[in-house]
Amino acid sequence: MTDELERIEADFVRDLATAGGDPARVEALRVRLLGRKGELSVVLRRLAERSAAERPAVGRAINDLKARIERELAAAAVAARSAGETVRLDRERVDVTLPARPFWVGSLHPVTHTRLELERIFRDMGFTVETGPEVEDEFHNFEALNLPAEHPARDESDTFYLECGLLLRTHTSPVQVRMMRRRAPPIRMVCPGRVYRRDLDATHLPMFHQLEALVVGPRVTMADLKGTLENVWQRFFGADVRMRLRPGYFPFVEPGCEYDISCGVCRGTGCRVCKSSGWIEIGGAGMVHPAVFEAVGIDPERCTGFAFGLGIDRIAMMRHGIDDLRVLMENDVRFLAQFPG
Amino acid sequence: MLFSLAWLRELSPFEANAREVARRLTARGLTVESVSEATGDPVLDVDVPANRPDCLGHRGLAREVAAAFGAPLAALPTTVLGARPESAEAIRVEIDAPDLCARYTARIVRGVRVGPSPAWVVSRLAACGVRSISNVVDASNLVLLEIGQPVHFFDAARLTGRALRVRRALPGESLRTLDGVVRALGPEMLVIADGDRAAALAGILGGFDSEIGPSTTEVLVEAAWFRPASVRATSRILGVRTEASHRFERGTDIEAPIAAQQLAARLLEELASGEAAAGTVDVYPAPRPPLQLSLRLDRIERLLGYTPPPDRVLAALSAVHLAPRAIDVGRIEVTVPSWRVDLGREPDLVEEVARHEGYDAIPVSLDGLPCGVPHPPDDDPEGRARAILASIGFQEAFGYAMIGEGEDDEFVRDAPKAERLVNPIADPLAYLRRSLLPSLLRSVDTNHRRGARDVRLFEVGRVFWFERPPSLPTERRCAAIAWSGAARPQHWSEPPVEIEFPDVAGVVERVLSGVWPGQATTRRLGGPAALHPGRSAYWTVADGTVVARAGALHPTRQRAFEHPIWLAEIDLDTLAAFPATAVRSTVVPRLSPVSRDLSLRMPRDRSFEGIARALRSVPAPAPARFEVLDRYEGPPLAADELSLTVRVHLAPDERTLVDAEIEAYRSELVVVIERVEGVRLRTE
Repeated sequence: MTDELERIEADFVRDLATAGGDPARVEALRVRLLGRKGELSVVLRRLAERSAAERPAVGRAINDLKARIERELAAAAVAARSAGETVRLDRERVDVTLPARPFWVGSLHPVTHTRLELERIFRDMGFTVETGPEVEDEFHNFEALNLPAEHPARDESDTFYLECGLLLRTHTSPVQVRMMRRRAPPIRMVCPGRVYRRDLDATHLPMFHQLEALVVGPRVTMADLKGTLENVWQRFFGADVRMRLRPGYFPFVEPGCEYDISCGVCRGTGCRVCKSSGWIEIGGAGMVHPAVFEAVGIDPERCTGFAFGLGIDRIAMMRHGIDDLRVLMENDVRFLAQFPG
Repeated sequence: MLFSLAWLRELSPFEANAREVARRLTARGLTVESVSEATGDPVLDVDVPANRPDCLGHRGLAREVAAAFGAPLAALPTTVLGARPESAEAIRVEIDAPDLCARYTARIVRGVRVGPSPAWVVSRLAACGVRSISNVVDASNLVLLEIGQPVHFFDAARLTGRALRVRRALPGESLRTLDGVVRALGPEMLVIADGDRAAALAGILGGFDSEIGPSTTEVLVEAAWFRPASVRATSRILGVRTEASHRFERGTDIEAPIAAQQLAARLLEELASGEAAAGTVDVYPAPRPPLQLSLRLDRIERLLGYTPPPDRVLAALSAVHLAPRAIDVGRIEVTVPSWRVDLGREPDLVEEVARHEGYDAIPVSLDGLPCGVPHPPDDDPEGRARAILASIGFQEAFGYAMIGEGEDDEFVRDAPKAERLVNPIADPLAYLRRSLLPSLLRSVDTNHRRGARDVRLFEVGRVFWFERPPSLPTERRCAAIAWSGAARPQHWSEPPVEIEFPDVAGVVERVLSGVWPGQATTRRLGGPAALHPGRSAYWTVADGTVVARAGALHPTRQRAFEHPIWLAEIDLDTLAAFPATAVRSTVVPRLSPVSRDLSLRMPRDRSFEGIARALRSVPAPAPARFEVLDRYEGPPLAADELSLTVRVHLAPDERTLVDAEIEAYRSELVVVIERVEGVRLRTE
């Protein structure tokens, strides 16, 4: 009996080694030894033929062997599966360094990006965003803005006229006029949009983009103009931006001014961008002229207001370091791709 | 305008150097663009604002410098005594048009010898950018540059009748101006005429026949005030702009002519050995009293946000010669000097105070911004269209609103006539566009020529439909796309795919549903003439309004381009006019959907729309949806046949469907479908 067990054990050790991790042969081995008619099962059944004195020792020997075989077969099966898995995983390996599948990334025009950013800042500050027609009449574009026909600041050579007598707006100010005529104060608005001037050279395009702001209320002052400008440009260009006002002339404001921001390139020490002045001129501003209020039916004794303007294209150029104005209208896809939307 | 620092210093002895003067003038609104120190005498280039013609002369700018530094101002030139006979005996002046000429003064200077100017005159003029001509002509320019008042010199001997008449031009009258050009004059143009005819164009240009020449000995000095609008209109009509017209059209000092001709007479004596006649002719029919204005101190607070102390306000107003008088508490009265043509209302005085105190003194605040401003509802179809198109790989382009004649004719349907610009920059920019596509096509072409094949551009902008000129046009907000190259992002794992109609239709419908969620549109074959008639479509809403058009560029146009181009244009305004309602949520069924496929064989000219309509007409046991699974042309089908596989999805929401129900529905679908002419279920 003991010989029998020793033979089974020796055969098992030999056969397991030769099975070499082949899952089918390991399984066959398990069936041969542990199956219902397997060798160990047979040995176990013959235990009954033993004397009562022998039985415990032999039984223990059989069970020990069975436990060992089960343990080693299980380990072999796991090893076999794992080896197969390794082969399969290796076969499924991909070259992860190949180019990934691209998604198309569209873009918004840099001037749109800048306009949206400015609109966001103004909305945050409680301004409404208003629009108006690009084809205008003399009243809204000039007369209501204290620019009567014979005014020297009204340069017709700058204005595109249409055969029907209308014109292309030369600024977004007519939107303010329409707004003031339509709605009683308080007003706290910006009007971004396309404007047209009869100009085409290295620094002028016949169509460009302006944003103007208008605030009208019972106690609006130039100090509020200063505060608003400072707030807007610090949000846009950074908290260390300084601002200054200089007296300037625009027929629709009085007092009037031009406003500059400190040069972000040289931080005020002087460079090419600011022409060594440390300041960059951004736009015009001032307190709404009483003649404008009278033209739109607002009593200048009861209300005051400020307005200011800026060129969005120029701000976009400063923001993105664009030197040549013309690229803004060329629509070269390689240029546009630099401004993902 | 260029200013000599040395000259300014003669008129107002200040200490500051050029850089400091530039800084202070800029802070007072007279922006110094540059300071040139090429010669010993620094030259300031000052951008004089249009409302400050008083600063278009050294004396005027010196007033600002004097105010800035508290420096004194030199007195005006002293009276020239002159010789007999007096000017008034030598010449008569009459003003026929006092509405256009409020004052005309003249003076005679005799014995003038025309010759070169001395060196100091040549260099002083050169500093101001003016070329020396002769001692006599230079004298008039020195007056202009110092006082800002243009003076005109006639050769008195060449005037007939020794009488001048300031009048409107006569019908058919013309004048040979000193540039040699014979100009036809209009009835609203003001001229200075001698006994025979027009001798000068008032305030703009002298006449050729009375010009100062080498043989001139007797000079008639004219210094006058002409109405700005009149000078401006004449100058514009004739296309002539001169240093004189530049000043007159902005408004000159009505009290300056006497001082100007005094200075002219003195210079002619000094530079050209002339002898001024005594006295002057001064026709000034309605002398203007100085303007009195009143300033409330609280108005300063209301406009500037702070009030300087009253004595500072008075000092500021005094510094610019406004002669302020404190009338009562909080109110000051001023007399506006005749040269300050820009001061007419109270806020102008507030600006004078602010300028003198410096704009840096204005505090920074946000306290006065009004609250309670109603915000309009957010209706931004343009923004939504931009965001969608950028998110699916298109790039935003900008196009001019102006295009060439007829360039958009074949891109629009039922559009009113295009409106032409009176003064376009160039012919390709002469009409207002009625479609965004022509300029977008130009940009595609530019990109093709630069070697790009894959071009996906869009523009969101306005087109202009003049339905009832001269009323304002309808400005439609539109989105347009132009697409060439690949239909999908290219990858090594699959072959490139060319753009087909469904690709373009997909973009259009993505925009339509994004801008205007939940609204049904219908797509039909056809498009504007510029598109391929068999590969274009238009989209309508329930009431039949066309909201979009798209398709391949017409083959005859396509030939001009390097790669096939697909186009689409969407009218965002028509869409925005329909109310966008919030989506109503529905309960999602929890049961598994089932599906059945139908493979159909049909003639090629059947549209899917007909099949879909038939399928939809069969009552379904649960909500049904139809999906095109496959479309095939080729063997073994006949040449005029195609096969279409439609998958029918049923989404039961209450109970699971039994096979018998589904099969009964499918059989009914087959029956109905086969009633469509030529359509058969495929059975192989």
